[in-house]
Amino acid sequence: MVGRYRFVHGFGALLVWLVAATVAAAPNAKLYQAQLPVALFSAPDLCAYAPCNAVFPEANRFSQRMGNPPYVEAWRDEGGKKQLLGYIALSTDVTKIPAYSGKTMISLIGITRDGRFARVALLNHSEPILLLGIPEEKLIAFNEQYTGKPITKRIEIGKVEDESGNAIGIDGLSGATVTVVVQNQIVRAVARAVGRQVGLITQVERPEAHFVTTGKRYSWYELEQLGLVHTLRVYPSDLGWDTPSSMNAAAGAAGDAKPGETPALEVRFGLLDHPDVGKSLLGEAGWESLMARLKPGENAIFVIRTAGSESFKGSGFVRGGVFDRIQLRQLGDVFTFRDLDYVPLYDLVAEGTPVFDESGIFIVRDPAFSAAYPWEFVFLGNRIVDKLTGHREYVSFGQSYWLPESMLEGGRPELPKPEASWMRFWKTRTVEIGLFVATLLAMAGVYAARDRLTAQATRKRKWPVDGFKYAFWLISVFFFGWHLLAQPSITQVLTWFHSLLTEWRWELFLTDPFIFLFWIFIVVTVFVWGRGLFCGWACPFGSLSELLFKVAQRVGLKRFQFQLPMRWHLRLKNLKYGIFLFLLTVSAFSMPLAEKLAEVEPFKTTFLVGILERGGLFAAYASVLLGLSLFMERPFCKYLCPLGAALALPTTFRWFGLRRKAECTQCTACARGCGSLAIDAVGRIDHRECMLCLDCMVLYHDPHACPPLAAERKRREKLGLPLTPVGKDGYFIPIQPVAVKQEG
Amino acid sequence: MMAAAHAKQTLDPNCLTEPVTPPFLARTGWQRWVAEAWDHLWPWHRDALPQMWRWATMLFALWVTLAWLMGAVGRIASPWLIAWWVAWSAVELLVRLRSKPYVKDGPWWGSRFRRADWLDLLAYVGFKNLLIGAVLFWAVRWL
Repeated sequence: MVGRYRFVHGFGALLVWLVAATVAAAPNAKLYQAQLPVALFSAPDLCAYAPCNAVFPEANRFSQRMGNPPYVEAWRDEGGKKQLLGYIALSTDVTKIPAYSGKTMISLIGITRDGRFARVALLNHSEPILLLGIPEEKLIAFNEQYTGKPITKRIEIGKVEDESGNAIGIDGLSGATVTVVVQNQIVRAVARAVGRQVGLITQVERPEAHFVTTGKRYSWYELEQLGLVHTLRVYPSDLGWDTPSSMNAAAGAAGDAKPGETPALEVRFGLLDHPDVGKSLLGEAGWESLMARLKPGENAIFVIRTAGSESFKGSGFVRGGVFDRIQLRQLGDVFTFRDLDYVPLYDLVAEGTPVFDESGIFIVRDPAFSAAYPWEFVFLGNRIVDKLTGHREYVSFGQSYWLPESMLEGGRPELPKPEASWMRFWKTRTVEIGLFVATLLAMAGVYAARDRLTAQATRKRKWPVDGFKYAFWLISVFFFGWHLLAQPSITQVLTWFHSLLTEWRWELFLTDPFIFLFWIFIVVTVFVWGRGLFCGWACPFGSLSELLFKVAQRVGLKRFQFQLPMRWHLRLKNLKYGIFLFLLTVSAFSMPLAEKLAEVEPFKTTFLVGILERGGLFAAYASVLLGLSLFMERPFCKYLCPLGAALALPTTFRWFGLRRKAECTQCTACARGCGSLAIDAVGRIDHRECMLCLDCMVLYHDPHACPPLAAERKRREKLGLPLTPVGKDGYFIPIQPVAVKQEG
Repeated sequence: MMAAAHAKQTLDPNCLTEPVTPPFLARTGWQRWVAEAWDHLWPWHRDALPQMWRWATMLFALWVTLAWLMGAVGRIASPWLIAWWVAWSAVELLVRLRSKPYVKDGPWWGSRFRRADWLDLLAYVGFKNLLIGAVLFWAVRWL
């Protein structure tokens, strides 16, 4: 008994030590939330604050930021000879696509003069998986794959099946799929933006729009109703002017009204090329005069400020002749305006035009722009990030515009639908996905047939049930776990929880097809049968843990195997709920910290990274848990697993439970054999703790092992009555005397 | 000893705790389902809590609803939104422990209820509020 107390104390100490060590462990990830100089994001001399030499080691001079979006030139000056080596851009100057953590990754991306990637130097990331799971060096190695690849090709993660030769595949990073997919999107976006500006990528010339005209003159109200004039609103909270940080600002979206908040900027804009629209707004003469200024293929838009104090013109055009606060984007191309593209706008003649205090007409001279295609008006806001330091960053707020179908000859052109990046993972792993789904369906099918299977098994011959179960455990460990890396985790529960209550992003979940499908299986089976089917049959770590226990049993370690006394089990089983609720609370305030603490799950170590590869504290922890599993059935699942706890809670509302007999209240035969310790002293099963091993159901049908059945069997044998089959209710099917009609 | 044995005999081993019959089960037809829906939404029971506590927790519920609506229109940052959700769930758990300490057992379309302990109610309140929160949030966003 003393030994058991020591064990319990030791177990608790291990947990405390693990949590403390996880929080205190010095991260080996140097770039995780690395502090970057504030000036990096805005100073003209980018390379004074960023390691540009890491991208072009042979360069000895770098230009100031130029272009829109900005980039710098890398030069080598040697003996009076100047040589342009290439271009470097800071990723956040072009795009801020959020990665798994919800924050973007910051890189310097270099492009050689001949249109190839030089190097991609990662400066900062917030990806939790790279903090404690996968070594950061792996992402750095991932980035090195870009070096030498042409920027004109479409670079995709994984094997590429593109016969045209326009796409190149690079290796992904197991366990950090979302991270590398986003990094690839960032690298490609930067390459496109810089490549187009420096002439390495030629812009696609889109066919000009041909308008359907009716001669009708529209009022302002009609123009708005028809979608010919749009509104973009940017609020003080979007620009960090007041405390509540809006979710819109984070997403860089704008346009929807925020009740009770006066906009920092409200602009109305629209295309002037369509004669009906242009004449309605500028009047006949005004429009004719404007059109006379335009060369073929050029387009014009108007912009007016109807509220707020922020200027959409800014002051950049005074200094450098460039309007740096606004731009148009169309299908991946960016169009900016210089002072020569600006035409003053003094008045709009449409009836009901709102009062405005800043205005202008901007001419899009680039032939790549076409009024027939959708485009986006973008305002680049200067947002305060840190009030203490005054650190600011540019955030883009966009509003889309597309002329109505009826105003274009032949209607709107058909746009090629861009394939979602997650779709590639589904397409390239079709066979594995098929096998995975088939296995899960087979598992559910076998469990659904449990009555038949347990009726065929006996306490001494459990193979009709265990044969399936052991096969699924092996598949789960080797195929699901080590091959597919499909180990569900509490971090996904936390992400689902946050997404359900704040903002749902399907892409986040669809990127890993196996985890996505596994969760569908989990959600369905938890509500139908309880957590046991996943935890007891399909979880890779749970299966490994119980396999070890069974193997130890067979190799002579059975005499050392033990269970905790029920009173200790009843106390310790609540530990996992505490861990789950603690993680849930922490995640509300700091998802990265919750992800760190989620290392209480040894899943990453066991399946995603590998015990030997990971080493150190985490390998020791996983080894201790697996070693303990040799002597105790599923210690982690019973007492520590936060995922198990998260699934146990909805198990309270499962639809179907295991069968019981009235005699179960007084018989402890099943309880004594229950490895999960889920059956109480009066024979009731706590399905939250039950792993659905079905041992009790085998006993339930066994006329030699189930006491009430055995008693009935003996009675019938004594009386010479036939032994009828055992029914679903767990009793012999009653013998009903049938009256025999005597003939004659 | 005899009483304990008798109690064991009368227990239902299919039910984790003692079966309970909530008052709304007395109704029939659609009225019973409306009453059950109301039971999910209204955690209070007239006699279970002192009047002051009842009013205090009701005011708190109103406050949380307002916070929720502000969150849905983007006026409250998501960590605080979730903090309000957790706070309300904790309060509802305590209220239900005193006023309606039962949960449904078995299929959701069934009528079997049983006595609830804190873990049952934690599961019930957490899960129900997650669903209500998600539906409300999406509805407000959609509107």
